Amino acid sequence: MSSRWRPYLLGILGLAILTFPFLWLQLRPDFTENTMTVTWAPWHALQFFGNLSPIFLLALLIWAGNWSNRRFGWSRALAQTPAFEKTAHLWQGYWAWAAMPLVLSGAFFMSASGLNMFTNVGIYMLLALGLNITVGMTGLLVLGYAGFYGFGAYFFALAQGYFSFFPWWLAGPLAFFLGGGVGYLLGLPCLRLRGDYLAIVTLGFAEAFRVLIGNLDITGGQKGIILHTSATFHGFAGMRGGQIAFIVTALVLFLAVFLIQRLYHSPVGRAWIAIRENEVAAASVGVPVVQMKLLAFSLSAAIAAAAGVIYGAMDGFISPEVCTFQQSIMVLAMVILGGLGNSYGAMLGAALLYLVPEYLQLLPSTIQNSTALSAIVPPFLSGAFQHLSDYRWLLFGMVMVIMMLYRPQGLLGSRRIKTEMRAS
Amino acid sequence: MSSGSTLTEILINGVSRGAVYALVALGYTMVYGVLGMINFAHGEVFMIGMFACVYAIGIFSVAWGNHVLLNLGLGLLVAMIFSAGYGYANERIAYRRLRKAHALAPLTSAIGISTFLQYFIFLTVSKQNVGFPRYYSDMLTSNHIHLGGVDITYLQIAILGLTIVIMTGLFYLIHFTRFGIALRATAQDQLMASLVGIPVDRIIAFTFILGSALAAIAGVMVSMYDNVLVFDAGYRVGLKAFTAAILGGIGNIPGAVLGAMILGLTEALTTLGFGSEWNDVSTFAVLMLVLLLRPRGLLGERVADKV
Repeated sequence: MSSRWRPYLLGILGLAILTFPFLWLQLRPDFTENTMTVTWAPWHALQFFGNLSPIFLLALLIWAGNWSNRRFGWSRALAQTPAFEKTAHLWQGYWAWAAMPLVLSGAFFMSASGLNMFTNVGIYMLLALGLNITVGMTGLLVLGYAGFYGFGAYFFALAQGYFSFFPWWLAGPLAFFLGGGVGYLLGLPCLRLRGDYLAIVTLGFAEAFRVLIGNLDITGGQKGIILHTSATFHGFAGMRGGQIAFIVTALVLFLAVFLIQRLYHSPVGRAWIAIRENEVAAASVGVPVVQMKLLAFSLSAAIAAAAGVIYGAMDGFISPEVCTFQQSIMVLAMVILGGLGNSYGAMLGAALLYLVPEYLQLLPSTIQNSTALSAIVPPFLSGAFQHLSDYRWLLFGMVMVIMMLYRPQGLLGSRRIKTEMRAS
Repeated sequence: MSSGSTLTEILINGVSRGAVYALVALGYTMVYGVLGMINFAHGEVFMIGMFACVYAIGIFSVAWGNHVLLNLGLGLLVAMIFSAGYGYANERIAYRRLRKAHALAPLTSAIGISTFLQYFIFLTVSKQNVGFPRYYSDMLTSNHIHLGGVDITYLQIAILGLTIVIMTGLFYLIHFTRFGIALRATAQDQLMASLVGIPVDRIIAFTFILGSALAAIAGVMVSMYDNVLVFDAGYRVGLKAFTAAILGGIGNIPGAVLGAMILGLTEALTTLGFGSEWNDVSTFAVLMLVLLLRPRGLLGERVADKV
């Protein structure tokens, strides 16, 4: 017993010592003497743990689920029930087509705020799909993906300010090709190299781009640009601008899924997978490694730029905030959570990571407004949910580490990547 | 003041900033040299060092009053110990179990650790900038010696002196001690190293600890130099230091120092010519230029690919 638990106890003790000052003490600058003192702040630490309590609850639930699954094996029993086994092929490949009219009809019965939220989800899905091509399929890490997103958005904003007529449907395809070109130029010097050079070059690109647009006069600096209404999604044929935005995003998303899935199952996709599995071996059987990597990277940059145009046309306002590092990490977390190398997984990850914090933010008011819920949920818990949006990034970090340790292939990861990413 | 001495001052600023980047870049390059992986949480370990030092100073000033040299020296020591602890925890949590997994896995978990640490400090310590206690840093920042027409502060001398001492020590450690031999053997081939009795796990852990302690020194120096402690400082400096490591050829220790110096000087000259807000742009331009001309970095050598 003691030998089994000792490493865990030592680890927890070590972490408790390392986090002790930051959690239990508070800095107090002393301005008269220009020195620094600390005060004892146990309340601070308790509040921190209290705010994390929903997470502990979630962890407990997951642990209980895993334990009961090991004990009773319900997940295998569920998968083997005829209803799921027989229809598995149906909802694996073609469900997207069945979902299409359903999703599109959503535009006509959702509220304006709902449409806005789901258009945002669609944009993040597009970004996750694009990033999945490089990170999931080809195995190249890109850390500055939001740079291309910002590039598309700013290309649109600047062009519509310069020309009198420059609507979104003109900007979208143009941004697609220009973004691809930028990706190609950026990838050219660093994709010839092995290793993670692409990660740092794209990260540097995104940072430099953000600093550039934040300091130039023509991009409005930190204040950003307000787009002309003629260029953005506006009402057309009896539909509101929000509805148009939703329908366009959904159609672009379907197109992207279709194209990416066709590519994934074509010789190009196989070449990408081969490069991900083993670059040297792929090169030795004649895969044009550099060209294939460049194609994957430019394609994903192009998709991000097109998504940037959609965002600009939807929001009507663009600021340097669109291409922060957090944005890049968020999209990366979506791809990893959903499943590396799986387009549907990337979309699932995007939906989860965008919608869960949104709904968590709404949760306290929902609880307050409903008499039944406010009777059930204890007040300290609803208070904790209120702070949960502040804790979003902390949780992102935890989720990324835990996913890599216990489920490196992601929620819907392809089976091929699972064997490869597990420690051999 | 003549423009010539302004230029010299800018250059001295650049060299001392470069020295700080070099201390952080060493952590990146050593871990890469041994594991072949980027340690993305290294910048956050640097940031932890900054805050640990200020906390330690606060505790000591409550415990036995404001003794500048004693508290500052002990604060630096505490910062090194804390950063080393966080570096070790990072290795144990994010790297050890994923060492044989796909290259993206440890990288992703390290990004997770980095995000977690940033927002841990953001939520528990301070959302705003914290100033370094001036009572302690004033002695170093406001006193200066006059050398050849320019003023060099004690802090700049301390940064340069410490960096030179540490580089020399590191060179000795890696080339002339048993540990250094074991480290180089581990870097070449982990399996073979373990077969001849080298404790590979411990060597790798010690590499993380060493790099983290150096980052803590850099953290304390930067927080005194800029008088700003903030939760995302590690990200900014880490990005620069990592760029420096790539400039010099990642995995190569003298290369990291050279790259850091080039970067520091580039920044200083950019500040002089265009203003400090353009620093990131010029850094990126230098990085792209070097990658175009010398893809493996300035001092990086071509290594054969292994299947």
